Amino acid sequence: MAYLELNNISKVFGKTTAVEDFDLQVEKGELVSFLGPSGCGKTTTLRMVAGFEIPTGGTIAINGINVTNKAPNQRDVGMIFQSYALFPNLTVAGNVGFGLKIAKKPSDEIHKRVAEMLELIHMPEYGNRYPYQLSGGQQQRVALARALALSPDVLLLDEPLSALDAKIRVSLRAEIRSIQQELGITAIYVTHDQEEALSISDRIVVMYNGHIEQIGSPFQVYNFPETAFVASFIGTLNAFDAEVVDPQANTIRIGGIQLNTEESLQEHKIGDKVMIAIRPERLSFSSDLKKANLINSQIENITFLGSIVRVEVVIGDIHMFMDTFNNPFLELPKIGEKVEITCSRQAVIILNH
Amino acid sequence: MDRDTLSLKAYQSAFSDPQFLKTFLYSMFLAAMTILVSIALVVPTAYWIRLRLPQARRIVEFITLMPFVVPAIILVFGLIRIYSSPFEIPFTSIVLIQPLTNFKVGTNILIIGGYTVLGLPYMYRSVDTGMRTVDVRTLTEAAQSMGANWGTIITRIILPNVRTALLSGALLTFAIVVGEVVLASFLGIPAFGPYLFLLGQHRAYEPAALAFTTFLLTWAAMGIIQLITGGQSQAAGAH
Repeated sequence: MAYLELNNISKVFGKTTAVEDFDLQVEKGELVSFLGPSGCGKTTTLRMVAGFEIPTGGTIAINGINVTNKAPNQRDVGMIFQSYALFPNLTVAGNVGFGLKIAKKPSDEIHKRVAEMLELIHMPEYGNRYPYQLSGGQQQRVALARALALSPDVLLLDEPLSALDAKIRVSLRAEIRSIQQELGITAIYVTHDQEEALSISDRIVVMYNGHIEQIGSPFQVYNFPETAFVASFIGTLNAFDAEVVDPQANTIRIGGIQLNTEESLQEHKIGDKVMIAIRPERLSFSSDLKKANLINSQIENITFLGSIVRVEVVIGDIHMFMDTFNNPFLELPKIGEKVEITCSRQAVIILNH
Repeated sequence: MDRDTLSLKAYQSAFSDPQFLKTFLYSMFLAAMTILVSIALVVPTAYWIRLRLPQARRIVEFITLMPFVVPAIILVFGLIRIYSSPFEIPFTSIVLIQPLTNFKVGTNILIIGGYTVLGLPYMYRSVDTGMRTVDVRTLTEAAQSMGANWGTIITRIILPNVRTALLSGALLTFAIVVGEVVLASFLGIPAFGPYLFLLGQHRAYEPAALAFTTFLLTWAAMGIIQLITGGQSQAAGAH
């Protein structure tokens, strides 16, 4: 039995279905991210775990106990909010010790635990400051300490880094992950930032329109997207409508070119329409190394993006992006030049609509 | 009283009148009670509207603005008309509550109720604005996730964070109650407002001295609010 179980959860607001048929099992110590665009139901699902929303259908169990209809203050769940939600009238120590006071712990124990938590977030000398005297990153670290002070069964993080600047976001997400692993706490992390989800999670739940599109490790979700939405939402993607040419040889055609894929097309007939995707980094110039699929194209545009260079090529009326690592000695073709590009059979992914 | 002479004799004369202190303290008592009743009524209402019933906000705002469009004289005659007869169980002659206007506690209840209504526009607006500056919904959820119940959330989180607003509302309510004449006169309450009004009928200098004293009191109250809420204003401004 998993530590946190969401069984067939659904949530309906009036005539709008926010979450539908949501099934997820989270193991103890695992960090699972809910990733998706705004309005996909990820925060609603998190709020149902927290107890702020009651599911219209389904059950939620934490450590084998059904908590579906329990009030938020009767669940052993810590929550971190996008807006930090520190109590402005309390000091940092007051905020971190708030839950312990509510639980009527002895004051010695509260002092000890608050000191431990402030040490954990590397802010031991900030106990007497008020939230308004801290930066956004510091406030969110205090919020993390506050949520962890009660040693909750599950830690819920609702877009905790969205209000912070890019640099702080990167360092704080590493800190959150390190603390989560150090304490072995089970966590649900809601974000719309794919990079954040890919870098921090054990598993990612990609959501769209209230339902799960795919559950998998960051590696699986990025490299083997199961649906067109997952493929398009995570990373940059070349996606095309293609036609099956030879189901036995796994050959498809887009525009005037034929490509071979590693995925089986034996269930399809000749002429069936399928959707395929190729990640830009899986394409390369054939002058470097020839692979299974060769495509004659013309350079349309070249964009310098720092660590990578994005080359846009055109094949008839099809546009395709190709990413190549930047290096100071890179010799790129000129715009308008004809080039041959290549990709492996594995690079051609068949998507479910 | 000396004419064309600067002196504090008017103040001396006004303060030496035993009625001054008696009526002033009585009005202070009524103001304190009105403020407590207003807070007990307005804070949970404004909080619940922000938290769960945002669609009711316009209706409640309209109701709280009624004292601006319905004169106090109508309020007091309404109170007298309704509460000067006993409450009986319908279709029987069993008296449930004696007429409130017939005894002192009852009349005090009536006037505190009336003052609460008169102070509603100020108290509700102040508290609602105060709650707008702090994210009450998220703070509530944060407190709930740490095991706090409703009572703890209101007393330890919401009230301390809207204390500036509460003090502003309380000051305005205090100012209304201390100077109010219509309700106190018609309900026969020996309050400071009617006393000041009567004094003005037959004295020239003392009412001016007392009016100036009430201004001083208002200034002192505002100074106290600034002192108490200095930290909170700073907190609200730091983003």
